[in-house]
Amino acid sequence: MSQSLRPYLNAVRFSLEAALTLSNFSSQEVERHNRPEIEVAHQSAELLLQPMHISRNENEQVLIESSVNSVRVSLMVKQADEIEQILVHKFTRFLEQRAEAFYILRREPIKGYSITFLITNKHTESMKTNKLVDFIIEFMEEVDKEISEMKLFLNARARFVAEAYLGEFVY
Amino acid sequence: MTDWRRIDIDAFDPESRLKTEDLLPPYTTQVTLAELQPKITQLRNLSTSGDISAAVQLAMQDPPYSADGATKAAYFQAVLDTLSQVRQADIANIVKQLSLDQEAVLVKYLYKGMSVPEGQRQGGILLAWFEKLTQASGIAPITHYLSDRRTV
Amino acid sequence: MLQLKPYNLLIQKTVSEAVEAAQQGRPLALDRIISDFDYTTFHMYNTAEDQAGTVYLSVRTKAWQSVLQCGGLLEYLQEVYSGCTGVTLLQQPEQGYDLTLALQLTSSPTEDTVLQLSLLKTHIMASPFKLAFKEFDVLKNVPVDPETAQLQQGPASSLFAIQYRDDETIFIKPANDRITVIFDTVFEDETDKIFGKVFLQEFVDARKRNRSIQSAPQVLYSHERPLELGSSNHPNLQGQPSRGYITFVLFPRHFQTQEVQLSSVYQLVLFRNYFHYHIKCAKAYMHSRMRYRVNTFVKVLNRAKVDDDDNDNQPAAESSTGATSTGPTRRTATGRKLVY
Repeated sequence: MSQSLRPYLNAVRFSLEAALTLSNFSSQEVERHNRPEIEVAHQSAELLLQPMHISRNENEQVLIESSVNSVRVSLMVKQADEIEQILVHKFTRFLEQRAEAFYILRREPIKGYSITFLITNKHTESMKTNKLVDFIIEFMEEVDKEISEMKLFLNARARFVAEAYLGEFVY
Repeated sequence: MTDWRRIDIDAFDPESRLKTEDLLPPYTTQVTLAELQPKITQLRNLSTSGDISAAVQLAMQDPPYSADGATKAAYFQAVLDTLSQVRQADIANIVKQLSLDQEAVLVKYLYKGMSVPEGQRQGGILLAWFEKLTQASGIAPITHYLSDRRTV
Repeated sequence: MLQLKPYNLLIQKTVSEAVEAAQQGRPLALDRIISDFDYTTFHMYNTAEDQAGTVYLSVRTKAWQSVLQCGGLLEYLQEVYSGCTGVTLLQQPEQGYDLTLALQLTSSPTEDTVLQLSLLKTHIMASPFKLAFKEFDVLKNVPVDPETAQLQQGPASSLFAIQYRDDETIFIKPANDRITVIFDTVFEDETDKIFGKVFLQEFVDARKRNRSIQSAPQVLYSHERPLELGSSNHPNLQGQPSRGYITFVLFPRHFQTQEVQLSSVYQLVLFRNYFHYHIKCAKAYMHSRMRYRVNTFVKVLNRAKVDDDDNDNQPAAESSTGATSTGPTRRTATGRKLVY
C-alpha cells in the first residue's frame, strides 16, 4: 500500500467508526414513518450531525454525512483521464443497478461523487458494524485497483489486436 | 383550495422545525477580524520562528466560533499554514502536548481543511495530522466533532 | 477468434448443402436472407420448378453504387467468376438487389467455386483496389523529375472512393511509389470513441514497437484531412469536425503478386469490422469482469451479516421444523435472505 493511501483509509475508518452509532428513530414529520433522516435533511436540523470531509487530494475524497439513524458515505474515485472516467462511470453504474444485492448501496450517487452508500440503523442492527467499515475500506482499495487494471487490460488488448492485424501484412 | 390534504401545516408554525441557525449556542459577543488580527500575527510569528508546537497550542486555544465567515476564513488560513509547516516526524510529539479540548478543535480544522480546495491540495499533511491524532486519542475527538454545533 | 474471415460462412455452408443435396437427388427448397457486415444482405433462393438445377445468390450492399462509379466492376466480377464452372452473372438482377449470380448445381461445383461465391462481398469491394494496383503499374514507370522530385507530366492519378456505410468511406489513392488507403470514420457512441482512440493509437505505434511486423504498412491516424485526399469534394468529407482519418500506406511489397494483393485487400476491407469487433470484445470482457467483481464485493459485504453463521450451520434444522417465515431467518419469495 502506498504511503499516502494508508493514512487516507485510516482516516475514513476512524470517521466511519465514530459515525456508525445509529439508533432507531421514528419520523417527527410523518406519522408511522421511519425514514433515513439524512435523506430528508431540510426538515429537522437537530437530527443531523456535522459532515466529515476526508480528502487525499482534489480527485480522491470521501464525504461522510451522518444523522441520528442513518449515515451517507460518498466516494469520489480517482479519474485521471477520459478512459478512467468512462471506466469509473461504467463500473459504478453496474454496481448501482445491482444495488439490491448490496443492501447499503444508494442507487444514485449524490452530486459530485462517484458512488454513495446509505447505511441505516436497520443495517447496523443486522450487520456487524466493524465488518461494514471493513467492507467500505476494502471497496475503496479494490475500486482503484480494478479501474487501473481494466485500463491496463484495455491497452494490452489494443496492442495485441493491432499487432495481430498488421502481422497479416508481413509476407 | 382543492388539495387541502397536502398543505404542510407545520410550515405555518414558526416553532415546529429547527433550522441549523437555531442550534448554534447563544454567543454573547461576536469576534471581529480586527480583534483577531493580533492572534493571527502572533501565530505567524511563532511558526516562522520555528516554534510550531507553541503555534499549534495557540491556534487551538479559543478559536473564533462566534465570528462571521470571512473572519473564520482568515483565521483558518493561518491555522492551515501553521499545520502544513510541520515536519511529519514532529507531528506525533506536538499532538501529545495537546489537551482534550485542543484536540477537539484540531479535528475541526482538519475536517474543514479537507473540505476546501486549499486544504485538499495539502491532503497528505492533513491526513498525517489526522493519523497521529487518532493514534493518540482514538475516535474520541471525532465523536466530539460530530456532535459539536460550534463550527470553525 | 482473433481474425475475421473474409468469406461468409453462412453462404459457404448453405451452398455446400445445396450442392450435396442435389447430388444425392434430394434437392432443397431454398429461400434465405443472409446478412453480412456493413448493411450487406444476401438472398439465396431457387425456384420450385428448378430445384435441382439452379441456385440464385443476390446481393445488396451499400458499397455497390460507389464501386460502380469507380468503373470496371462488372468486368472484374465476370473475370473472377469466369474461373468457376457453373456460375453466371445474370443480366437482370433480382428486384431490390444489386447483383444476382446463378449457380448450376448440375455442373458439380468444386469447393473453390463455393468459396468464391461466399467471397462475393469482398470481391465487390476489391474491384477498386484492383484498379488502383493497375494504375500504380502505370504510374511507377512515369519518370520522376530529379530536381523537383515531382512526377513529370503523365496521367493524374485518380482517387477511388468506396462508400461502404452511410457516413464512412474508404479512399484509395495510387502514387508512383505507394498506394494510400484512407478510412474516414465517425464513432457514434461516446465510449466507442474513447476506446477507439486507444486502439487506433496502438495501430499507429505497433509497427515502431514490434520489430517483427516492421514490414507491415505504415498506419497514421489524425483528425486532419490527409493531403492525399486533395480537393476531393466527396459528401462525407464535408463538415463534421469529429471525423477521424486512418491512413494505411501500402508499399510495392504489399501488392507484388496476385496472392499478396488478394490477401492485402481481404485484410483492408475487413479493417473497420475487425477494429469495431475488438472494441465490442473489450467491452464484453469488462462486463464479465465487473460481474465477477460485484460478486466478490457481495461476499465481503455478506461477511458483515450477524446471522450469517447460524443460518449456514443449520439449514436442515430450519427446514425440518417447517418454521414459517418468522424471526431472523425470513426469506423473500425467491429464497433471498431478508436483511431487514
